Amino acid sequence: MTEKRAYSDMYADIAGKAHAVPAISALTQIISVHQPLYVWWRILLSLGLVAVATALGFPLHALIARANLVMLYLAAVVVAATYLDRVPSMVAAVAGVLAFNFFFTEPRFTLVMSDPEDIITFTGLFMVGLVVSTLAARAREQAESARQHESQIAALYELSRDLTAAADLDAVVQGVTNHVSHTFGRESVILLAEGEELKSRQPASFPLDENEWAVAVRSFRSGQPAGRGTDTLPGARLHYLPLKTVRRIVGVLGVKTTDPNLHLTPEQRRLLESFAGQAALAVEREQLAEQARQAELLKAADKLQTALLNSISHDLRTPLVAITGALSSLQDDAASLNEAARQGLIEMAREEAERLNRLVGNLLDMSRIEAGALRLKQVPCDVQDVIGTALERLSSRLGDHPVTVEVPPDLPLVPMDFVLIVQALANILDNAVKYSPPGSPIRVTGRLAGAGESLEIAVADQGIGIPAEDLTRVFDKFYRAQRTRAVSGTGLGLAIAKGIVEAHGGRIWAENRPGGGTVVTLALPVQHVLAISTPRVSASKHRVTTTEGQP
Amino acid sequence: MSETGVRVLVVDDERSIRRFLQAALAPHGHTVYEATSGEEALAAVIAHRPDLIILDLGLPDLDGTEVTRRLREWSQIPIVILSVLDREEDKIAALDAGADDYLSKPFGVGELLARIRVAIRHASRPAEEPVFQVDDLKVDVAHRQVTLTGQEVSLTPTEYDLLRVLGQHAGKVLTHRQLLRQVWGVAYETETHLLRVNVSNLRRKIEPDPTRPHYILTEPGVGYRLRADV
Repeated sequence: MTEKRAYSDMYADIAGKAHAVPAISALTQIISVHQPLYVWWRILLSLGLVAVATALGFPLHALIARANLVMLYLAAVVVAATYLDRVPSMVAAVAGVLAFNFFFTEPRFTLVMSDPEDIITFTGLFMVGLVVSTLAARAREQAESARQHESQIAALYELSRDLTAAADLDAVVQGVTNHVSHTFGRESVILLAEGEELKSRQPASFPLDENEWAVAVRSFRSGQPAGRGTDTLPGARLHYLPLKTVRRIVGVLGVKTTDPNLHLTPEQRRLLESFAGQAALAVEREQLAEQARQAELLKAADKLQTALLNSISHDLRTPLVAITGALSSLQDDAASLNEAARQGLIEMAREEAERLNRLVGNLLDMSRIEAGALRLKQVPCDVQDVIGTALERLSSRLGDHPVTVEVPPDLPLVPMDFVLIVQALANILDNAVKYSPPGSPIRVTGRLAGAGESLEIAVADQGIGIPAEDLTRVFDKFYRAQRTRAVSGTGLGLAIAKGIVEAHGGRIWAENRPGGGTVVTLALPVQHVLAISTPRVSASKHRVTTTEGQP
Repeated sequence: MSETGVRVLVVDDERSIRRFLQAALAPHGHTVYEATSGEEALAAVIAHRPDLIILDLGLPDLDGTEVTRRLREWSQIPIVILSVLDREEDKIAALDAGADDYLSKPFGVGELLARIRVAIRHASRPAEEPVFQVDDLKVDVAHRQVTLTGQEVSLTPTEYDLLRVLGQHAGKVLTHRQLLRQVWGVAYETETHLLRVNVSNLRRKIEPDPTRPHYILTEPGVGYRLRADV
């Protein structure tokens, strides 16, 4: 009886509602529910079946052989066995024997037996009733258990399907708690191990107090279930299951009870354990995947470092050689150098030092971009000021390149990290200067593109251009077009520009101009056009043009 | 206190930087004192009474901003900060804490001497000057008049205030926050777009070429500076 009581846990709700629903559905409920209360109902029903058999027997009595009337009672027993379980069907068998004896054997309407054949009929009817009821009941139980089994398998299958599709650890945790809630109607929490500690990945809507944590940790450390419904600290509010894989325990699943009087059945407990097993595997899979990603990153970082050493050691040493040489010659050969030679050496040492400084700056920028350590400080910026500042930074390197800047005066402020975009633009300009002949013009344009959704800043030169197959690769780090070997550079400038622009959610691309030369364009998203309280100057000649190298 | 031969306290934990500053400043008649930490710097200010401090932001004990803050509790001595290029937040914090100017490492001697001259000039002449002039730009504060090569320029009141504040501190960097506070008021000190729009408009009116500003210089990520003859 106690087991049946516990078993009813899952269905208690349904059975409770049965009082209120119509008779037919009540009957189904009664039939499908193993409730002791309803055994009496079913016995009454089985007696009813016997009564029906009897009622049918009366008109047939005169027409068929008496022994065949037994078939009616047999049918009643089979029906009772199939739908009403063992006890009611045996009641039906006994009642059938008695009713047959009472109503149809001579002398009728007494329980006296005169014909010895009737005794065989009674015994047969009784035995058949017993066997049929036993068989039918067993079949019913098996069907019931198969049905349960099937629904458990289905629940497990759905869980494992969802966990397979889960993209990250949070999705796994969400999937498990959703399925526990769906299958068991209970809230749950997943605590994951981080090193030796348990950490909650759940939102604060389901907080655990210190005691609950202690129970969860106990389960985690021992690898055994703990808390409610177990022998370990049963006073807890939740039932805790360790999430075990072959290798280790990855966390703990805590399941909350809605009603303190309800306990999980053994079947449910087994299902929950299977859930925990699935969850453990999924968590471990995600953690391993994460480790693999980290390893991949490390490998990439390692590759970067090797490349740095190979490619950079040369670039680092060259300016140092030049600087050291210039300084030592100034110190040692002071007497033999004329003023022009001295100035030349000093100039060279300074240029090389500046080059070294740029190189170190580029390396630092690249490593910060690689490490994802760029912190954007996006504020509304004046595009013209951005371009002007980038040109100012490059002023010593622009040499005699005439620079034209075209920015419509009504261009709104665009949110960006001023310093970083200046840097990106300076790198693009530096590239334009490096790969175009002295004195060739450079043009910088800023404009809103795509119905004002993005800001485009383009730098056009009349240089050597980029081979079509290299147009995207020029933004890869350490990439340098084959024919540019003669020009000093690290192959980092455009990669840094790309990193900065992409950190803004923008993009950068290079195109060859029909007349020769390259256009590098960076596009930044303009999420919102700012309401500007101060009206901008209504300028009349709205193309502001400047020419570098003229007074 | 004259503009030549000032007493400079150099605060930097890097010996090579101190050596370089000593070598660069001594030929110009400046006397150089050295300190290698924040605490040492605070003691040296009392001991040597320097006219100006060159302060590195990355000190081993106190950071430069903290040193600035402590000094500003009792002293108005000019402070020029040394910092690497990409630490704008640090520079802004130190400037807002009361430092006068900054230099990004690496820097040239010319730049260094110019910063020292501007800082010393502002420290010795704190009173507002009625007129200031740089190249072709002249601002007459007494008459609220701005002229460019003798031609009067018409400015909105905000643009004028902005130019006046920049002019009062000509040659010195002013952070966005300092400018917003002085021109618009404390309540507006985070509204940098007001500043950007007005600087942009002001440049269109006074700069010969607004895309390559000559008078109002942008200090990327930090603020603006009005060019000064130094």
